[in-house]
Amino acid sequence: MAPFIARRFAVLLLTLLAVSVLCFALPYLSEADPARSILRARVSDLAIDADAVEGLKAKYGLDRPLAVQYASWIGNVARGDFGYSFTNRLPVSDQIGSALRVSATLALTSLAIALVAAFPLGTVAAVRPGGRVDNVVTFVTQSLVALPEYWLGPLAILVFALHLGWLPSAGWLEPAHIVMPACVLALRPLAYFTRVARASMLDVLNAPYMTAARSRGLSLAHSIVAHGLRNATPPVMTLFGIWLAGLIGGAVVIEVIFAIPGMGRLVYSAVVNHDIPLLQAGVVCIVALAVAINTVADLLYLALNPTLRVSRHGA
Amino acid sequence: MAPELRPTMNGSGAASHAAASAVRRFASAFAARHWWFTVGMSVFAVIAALLLLTPWISPHDPAALDLRMRMASPGPQHWLGTDHLGRDVLSRLLEGGRFSVSIALVTLLLSVGIGTMLGALSARIGGLFDEALMRVVDLLLSFPEVVVALFLIAVLGPGYGTLVLALTITGWTPFARMSRGLALEVNAQDYIAAAEVLGCRRRFIVLRHLIPNLARPIAAIIFLRFGHKLITVGGLSFLGLGVQPPGSDWGAMLADARPYMERMPLLAIAPGLTIFLTALSVTMVGQGLEISADRRMATAAGRRPRGKQPEQGER
Repeated sequence: MAPFIARRFAVLLLTLLAVSVLCFALPYLSEADPARSILRARVSDLAIDADAVEGLKAKYGLDRPLAVQYASWIGNVARGDFGYSFTNRLPVSDQIGSALRVSATLALTSLAIALVAAFPLGTVAAVRPGGRVDNVVTFVTQSLVALPEYWLGPLAILVFALHLGWLPSAGWLEPAHIVMPACVLALRPLAYFTRVARASMLDVLNAPYMTAARSRGLSLAHSIVAHGLRNATPPVMTLFGIWLAGLIGGAVVIEVIFAIPGMGRLVYSAVVNHDIPLLQAGVVCIVALAVAINTVADLLYLALNPTLRVSRHGA
Repeated sequence: MAPELRPTMNGSGAASHAAASAVRRFASAFAARHWWFTVGMSVFAVIAALLLLTPWISPHDPAALDLRMRMASPGPQHWLGTDHLGRDVLSRLLEGGRFSVSIALVTLLLSVGIGTMLGALSARIGGLFDEALMRVVDLLLSFPEVVVALFLIAVLGPGYGTLVLALTITGWTPFARMSRGLALEVNAQDYIAAAEVLGCRRRFIVLRHLIPNLARPIAAIIFLRFGHKLITVGGLSFLGLGVQPPGSDWGAMLADARPYMERMPLLAIAPGLTIFLTALSVTMVGQGLEISADRRMATAAGRRPRGKQPEQGER
């Protein structure tokens, strides 16, 4: 177990290093001149003064070789300092910190909604495979995957905020603000969770210990709750990890529609405003998070499923 | 009688009957599918035909402004009405579909090519290459593809090529994982050992034995991933980072329609519904394929789907 974890962490560090080089270098290599894009971002003026460009280059150290810039950047990053935003000149780390908190809240809320709904749906569908309930559940999950959130979001605002007035339309101030975006965001993971829950429940229902439980006189519902759920959970949790990493940062469209100050909207605004430090930091953080969640999920999976431990260790 | 119980007679028919039997085989293959496959395929065929024929059947120039006819209701001249600039909605739907649907298709074809090859090679080469590739796949699977797309748009500027590149970078992973798994299974078969003993080259074995065995499950993933791609492209266009102004697609039409949703809901409903129907029809094709593949495997393994006749399938 220990050497496996150690190797996993070495790989993790190497990956992060490689990704940080890519995230740092690419915007500079392609952009004609970062100093010009700073000026464009700030004043959005086409008549850019050459002196101002030189001044900015000296101020931000953009005239140094790229390798030197990277070295000083990664040194600062290791201390939690991502520099200052080109546009609003605030520390990037502060903006990322608060955005991460917002996105994590949103992602966890919608994934919780998805999980709570997916297990009953998947179980009900798995009880009679090919039956009417199964067909309906499968059709619903297919439809949920095919629904674009940038269609549903504005429609939900139109109906629930403007016509019915039940919920606030957009923003991030009171708890009620999370309801609509979290529900819309939950639909696609809900579909995938249901699909996986159904498949793994189907396996579980055919397992010998379920037959044993049934023959001991347990009802179907009781044996599913007592034995089925626990054994059907690991595949869904793996998917949960993947989605958690994907939604923190990946919920760009929803965060823009509902004006939520999260990671997705931060990266989006960095792209629109050519704010290179914000873009670099945002992407590096999202990757780091994805790698970290991935590693934790793997280790958890190993911990939850003792049968895997032996084979992995032996390999 | 279930069609898959018949002995397969591929290639044993007389040459004179080849054409007729090919047609019959195609028809029976179609009929043997789950009804989801048939319905999805029919709907998508109509959509694809409309999009292919757009230059000839489009009733109006999709970019032609007619400011006297702004927000016209559906009528004989404009079947789906006009938008806020007096452009014909139906023509714009047709024109816009070509952008997103073709990007989704091109991306998937590239992803299949790259992913299948890498996965199959990885299974054959094994060792460090295999390990490294699977780590990359793990990372990319949990990494939000919208963020990759945003990053590349910031670096390369928005455009058709950027979108294809961004979606391919994240899109090849499921194919690699699937083909690696299947290839490991196939590699253990005796006929591979036989080919190796006979001195066949590695590339020949991959092309001749591996790829044909991978075709069906890979095809299922292609159809299941299509809707996802379509929705991502539309989402980027919705944010203004996909298709650029003279052009348009369904996501951009939704963004245009947002301020006028209350006055003219059709403007927002039409493009959303087309995305939904296109994505749903292709997903249904994939689900139908998956079911018939499952059923074939179940029959081959001599086990029947629980409590149901074979027609109903496992899903």
